[in-house]
Amino acid sequence: MAWLFVGPALLGIGLVVVFPLVYSLWLSFTDVNLLRSTGPAVELWGMRIPLFRWIGARNYTQVLTDPLYWDSLWRTLYFVGAFVIEATLVGFGVALVLNERFPGRPLMRSLLLVPWSLSRIVVGLLWIGILDFEFGALNGLLLRAGLVDGAIAFFKEGWTALNVLVSVYMWNQAPFATLLFLAGMQSISEDLYAAAEVDGAGYWRRLWYVTVPALRPIVFLVLVLATVNGFLMLDLIYVLTMGGPAYDTTTVSWHGFKTSFTFFKFGPGTAILYTLTALCLLLTVVYHKLVLARFEAEG
Amino acid sequence: MTTRARYRGGNYRRRSVGSQVILYATVTAVALWLIAPFVWLFVTSVSYQRNLLARPFTLVPPEVTLDNYRKILGLVRFHAEGQAGKILASMWNSLVVALVVTGVNLVMGTTAGYAYARFHFPLKMLSLFALLFTRMLPTIVLIPAFFLVFRALGLQNTLTGLVIAYCSFTLPFTVWIMKAYFETIPADLDKSALVDGCNRFQAYWRVVLPVSGPGLVAGGAFTFMLCWNEFVVAQILNTKPGTTTLPPVIAGMNGQINIDYSVIAASGFLGALPAVLLVLVFQKYMVQGLTAGSVKG
Repeated sequence: MAWLFVGPALLGIGLVVVFPLVYSLWLSFTDVNLLRSTGPAVELWGMRIPLFRWIGARNYTQVLTDPLYWDSLWRTLYFVGAFVIEATLVGFGVALVLNERFPGRPLMRSLLLVPWSLSRIVVGLLWIGILDFEFGALNGLLLRAGLVDGAIAFFKEGWTALNVLVSVYMWNQAPFATLLFLAGMQSISEDLYAAAEVDGAGYWRRLWYVTVPALRPIVFLVLVLATVNGFLMLDLIYVLTMGGPAYDTTTVSWHGFKTSFTFFKFGPGTAILYTLTALCLLLTVVYHKLVLARFEAEG
Repeated sequence: MTTRARYRGGNYRRRSVGSQVILYATVTAVALWLIAPFVWLFVTSVSYQRNLLARPFTLVPPEVTLDNYRKILGLVRFHAEGQAGKILASMWNSLVVALVVTGVNLVMGTTAGYAYARFHFPLKMLSLFALLFTRMLPTIVLIPAFFLVFRALGLQNTLTGLVIAYCSFTLPFTVWIMKAYFETIPADLDKSALVDGCNRFQAYWRVVLPVSGPGLVAGGAFTFMLCWNEFVVAQILNTKPGTTTLPPVIAGMNGQINIDYSVIAASGFLGALPAVLLVLVFQKYMVQGLTAGSVKG
């Protein structure tokens, strides 16, 4: 009976997720040549899915001996680390502010959803309007206030560009962390705060001894989700830096994207992307443990 | 009750003047940080490029114009009208894809979510884990496979292809969100329906679904938003002019040097509006649905 309900969705997911996932894994072990139409293939319902030539782990050895891969991996780790820290801290800080009572709080909570509901293409676009060397509003304001002598080129130097990417992505994603934190803060019993206040605890002590411990599961959740999102980010790089200057903002996902779809080398490309997938599987295990722990705690 | 209410998130009646000032300063700063960039996008979209380039810089544009919108809507001719003229057609494509994917998700995802919330069945935990994994999966890893299969099927550069590809990252989300939602509906409701002679399907269709409006709205609006905003998959799979969705067209305009930023800003603002409005209209349900979906697993 249950299978009648889950069946269609699982079948659908099997067709659009599991099958491509397995096929991509297969591709990462083959010598894909998109121009060749002969060679081994599977015939399924009249369509011909090419299998290409199995070359073992050669794509993986090629990818993993390429210094560009390791450079982008270290860069990705920095990107993810910086993004996770920024998004969590800012998300938490904003949640603290929005958890206070002040007139206009419902409006503020609506505003919170704006950065998050924008397409990342638009997110990149509007930050270009602010950061651009020639017409950027921030440069305009800084120049007018006399704080800088010349306009700042935010995307000219690799290190700056990478950190700008982190902050722009954070602007887009931190509001979601805030939503989760706010939901958690509202489930904390007010009696705890009352008791702490009776005991003479001020704002910061209440924050540290009541709010933070109660939010621990949500903190972990935010960390895991932000880590995954950090590893997978692609579209902002496309609008803002295209992986450059040079390779200075090339992350693993961008490297895989370019190898697959700019150079159309599907073999090495899927191999790069599969190293990312393995990482996500690992993070899913962590997430799953967290969720399960919560299930058990709730009985 | 009064004492309870007073403590929630601090007590503002007894706030000192100093902390009042700090609070309002932070609130203002947060508000600016959240909304000013988007407002600036609007300002640039109703400005002339020459005024954006003018220094000293002014926050309030000296001239306001709808020319940029006229250009992308094809009402005035200009040198890059070929590029800008794709905006409306691609918005239509975006709408069709987003609506169809949302429909598919609501039918299939909701039914599965209900089963996960109510039934125990073999492989339930394993398939839940698989679902979670597909939710965390980099969608981009699936695209080489879609690319080759769609080429074999002739689905490249079609909206059908995009719909299929988009289900890969939306369906797991919808199942998850709906499962969390159905868990908040008391199981006694279904039980009494079963006692009254309904079968499982009737209990679901006639009794549970009609009271599940908020959950359906949350799942539907979220799916629509994801599809409307998606860029990478559409960019790769639908490259033929006229077959792609809005985000790739905007990104393409951004890559051209001969198009003014103000025109691109206008298309960005116009393209962002549907998703932003949708989220703002349904915010209550979406926030509930999403936080329940991720917090409770």
